[in-house]
Formats: sequence, C-alpha cells, structure tokens
Amino acid sequence: MSDAPPVPPLMPPLIQVRGLHKSFGKLEVLRGVSFDVKRGEVMAIIGPSGSGKSTLLRCLNFLEEYQSGEILFDNVLVGYRNDPSGRRRLDSERNVRRIRARLGMVFQSFNLFPHKTVLENVIEGPVVVKGQPRAEAEAAARALIARVGLTDKLDTYPTKLSGGQQQRAAIARALAMQPAAMLFDEPTSSLDPELVGEVLEVMQSLAAEGMTMVVVTHEMGFARRVADRVMMMDEGEIVELAPPEQIFGKPESPRTAEFLRRVLH
Amino acid sequence: MNYTWQWQLIWDFRQVFWRGIEVTVMLTWWALLIGLVLGLLLGLMRSSRLKVLRWPAAVYVDIFRATPILVQLVWIYYALPILLGLQMGNIVAASVGIGLHAAAYIAEIFRAGIDSIDRGQSDAAKSLGMGYGQAMRRIILPQAVRRMVPPFINEFATLMKLTTLGSVLAVNELLHEAENLINNTYRPLEVYTVVAVLFGLMIYPFIWLSQRLEQRWKKSR
Repeated sequence: MSDAPPVPPLMPPLIQVRGLHKSFGKLEVLRGVSFDVKRGEVMAIIGPSGSGKSTLLRCLNFLEEYQSGEILFDNVLVGYRNDPSGRRRLDSERNVRRIRARLGMVFQSFNLFPHKTVLENVIEGPVVVKGQPRAEAEAAARALIARVGLTDKLDTYPTKLSGGQQQRAAIARALAMQPAAMLFDEPTSSLDPELVGEVLEVMQSLAAEGMTMVVVTHEMGFARRVADRVMMMDEGEIVELAPPEQIFGKPESPRTAEFLRRVLH
Repeated sequence: MNYTWQWQLIWDFRQVFWRGIEVTVMLTWWALLIGLVLGLLLGLMRSSRLKVLRWPAAVYVDIFRATPILVQLVWIYYALPILLGLQMGNIVAASVGIGLHAAAYIAEIFRAGIDSIDRGQSDAAKSLGMGYGQAMRRIILPQAVRRMVPPFINEFATLMKLTTLGSVLAVNELLHEAENLINNTYRPLEVYTVVAVLFGLMIYPFIWLSQRLEQRWKKSR
C-alpha cells in the first residue's frame, strides 16, 4: 500500500484506457479494455499467460500499436493524433518519444545494454535523450545505483551480474529518466527464486514513495501486499478489477477464483 | 621437370609490382568506401518496417548478387556511356563497379548483424525515449558491428581480390601489371607466384586483426 501524499481531487487519472482493442493479424489479443491508473497508484495485473497482460502494458508506452480505443497519458492521446477531418493517424515519432521518456519500463529479460557498464546504462537515457550534462547525469545515476544496492557494480558489465542485480540496474536505468510512472513487465519471471526478493524489495520501496506503477506479475504475494488494485485479465479482457482484499479474499468472478486456485494452491 | 626459377628477374622489375600495388590499394579503398556507405544504407533499408524502403533495396541486392561481377564491370564501363552519356575513366568505373557489387554483400552483412540483435534491445532504447537514429547509433549498431567483423573481413578479402577484374577494363592494377610483365619476360610462374604472395601479405594482416578483435571481445563479454 503506498503512502503517497493525497492527490488533489480534480487531477485526472495519470493513465486512462478506453475500449482498447489490439490484434496481431487475425488474433485479437485485447478485446475492449478500459481502466484508469490514478497518480501514485500501484496496479498489479495478473492472469494466465496469453491473456494479453504484457501486450496491454506495451500498448501503454506504444511499443505496440493498437487498432481502436484510446490511451491517455497525462491527458495526451498515446501514439495517435486526429487530423482535421477527424481521421486517426500515427503521431509523430517526436511526440511518441516524449511520452515514452516519461514512462519508465522494466522488462522480463532486463534488456540492459551489454556493451555498456551499469553506470553507462543508467546515464544513457538522461544524456542521450534529455541532453543532460554527463557529470550531472552521473551524479544522479550514482545515487540511483546506490538506492538499488549496486554501488560496488558501477563499472561492471551486465553479463557479469546475477539476474537480480541486472534487474535492479534496469530499474535504476528507467528511474534515471525521472518518469511519471513505471511499467513492469513480469520483472521477476526470469529470476532464480532466491533472487526474486531483492527485486521486489526495490519495487516495494518505490511504491512506498508514491511512484505510480503498473506491474504485470505472477508474484501474488507482491500483488496482495503492495498493489492498491489488482486487475485480473483473461482472454484479452478485464475479468475483475478490485482491491487486493477482494481479489484474494472473495473474488466476484469464478474465473479469478479458478486462476488463483491454480497458482496459489 | 627441370625448371630454373629466376627470382632475380622479379627483383629487377620490382617497380612494376609496386605500381600495381598502388593501383590495387587505391581501387580497394574506393570500392570499399562505396560498398560500405551504400551497403549500410541498403542494409538499414532492408531491415526497415516500410515496404517502400525494403523493396528497392531487396531488388538491388538480388540483382547484384545474381549476376557476374565481370558483366557488371563491362556493363558500367561500356554500356552506361551509351545509355546515359556517362563516361567514366577506367579506374573510376572499376571502383564504382566493384563498390556497387560489394555493397550488395555488405548490405546483407549489415542486415544480418542488425537482425541478430535481440528485439529487447530496441524495446529498451525506445522505452527510454530514443528515436530510431539514436537507438541505431548508440545501442544496436555498436553491438551488431562486433558480430559483423568476421563476415566483413571476409568480404574485404574478397573485394581486394576482385580488384584484379579491373584488368578487363585495362586498369593497371597488380594483376594487369603482372600480365604485362609476363608478356615481356615469359616468366609466368615467378610473376604469378609473386602476385599471390603480395595479395596474401596485403590481406592477411586484416584476417589476423579480426581474429584478435574477436578474441578480445569474447573475453570482455
């Protein structure tokens, strides 16, 4: 549960998703998804594999295009603009990039840049995208790297790190852009079990500071403890979206109950 | 077999070989430059998402790979002037011809190198807000280049040997000079042997360097 400072009531939700549809060719992956993520909120997305969780997350920063519906990030339509005749067109790369720069993303497979050290990975965004002076970016990066507990690995290349260390470095890299929200795409799914905790700890402390987070996860304990709301997805639809007490206590949907029985047993 | 090798003769004509080497190196340099620049462009076009870019690049690569370079050279030197009124000197025509030919292969090296980089890398670059150019320059190409070095050195060696085809356009490169020398001295065995050795000496350092680089990168990763 985040102890974020109370948000003024008139501020619109940071992320608004309305009737989102997404297909890969003939395969419909998202079939009309609508929800809001409020500022400072932590939302966990759970559900069976192939239910569209990761695709949904990737639509939020437009790593995936979507066919209909809309995503508003901070009241700005993501990825498209309407031309004078009202037809929807792909937005300019510049506008898409501006949105992506404000949305941190953490991947299942870390995706650190292997030809750069931890420090170089973390300053890459601020220096290249924001044009921050290198010294300034380095100072900020050192603080972030300390925060994720990797100070002794500053000059290490990613392949020399454990999975947990790599993922913590990847979190620092995303945070270096000072994002308005963080997207986590199954951040612990490719970690050895004993390394999961160190990554979840970092995420939990982020949540406690009031970071807006959308987390696709199989870690039910994390969803229950940290999330403000939990979204259960199946077959491209939201089955249930409710506080963790309801999802894990008395789920309304039999599909939620069935899914949880299978993963928790 | 009773053959008397006459190496002294080769030494007496060393100037001829030296002249040939100069032209061969120059041909190699210009052809390489054309091949690299055009090859990178074609390679990027081929890995593009846009059909209008992918398609012409694919046609170019296929045409130049599917036809003999000898015909390409002759065509550029003799047919272009007729069709376009564009008459190039023989050295320029040979450089351009070999460069255009090499570009097709170099494009494939670039494309394969770029394709070999995990999609997660460009996802990560994009998610930081990088544009296509930034992601290519800072993230994708630096990794791809390491994988491209062995096939690239291969192509470089091929290209340098292909410059001998300049002789059909009467370019005074190493082989052409050597053949003139043979016509004057009737010592083909010595002359061809020396030509082979000289090419080996010019090409081998690059092969050696490529192997060293590979080992170093393997260690640091």
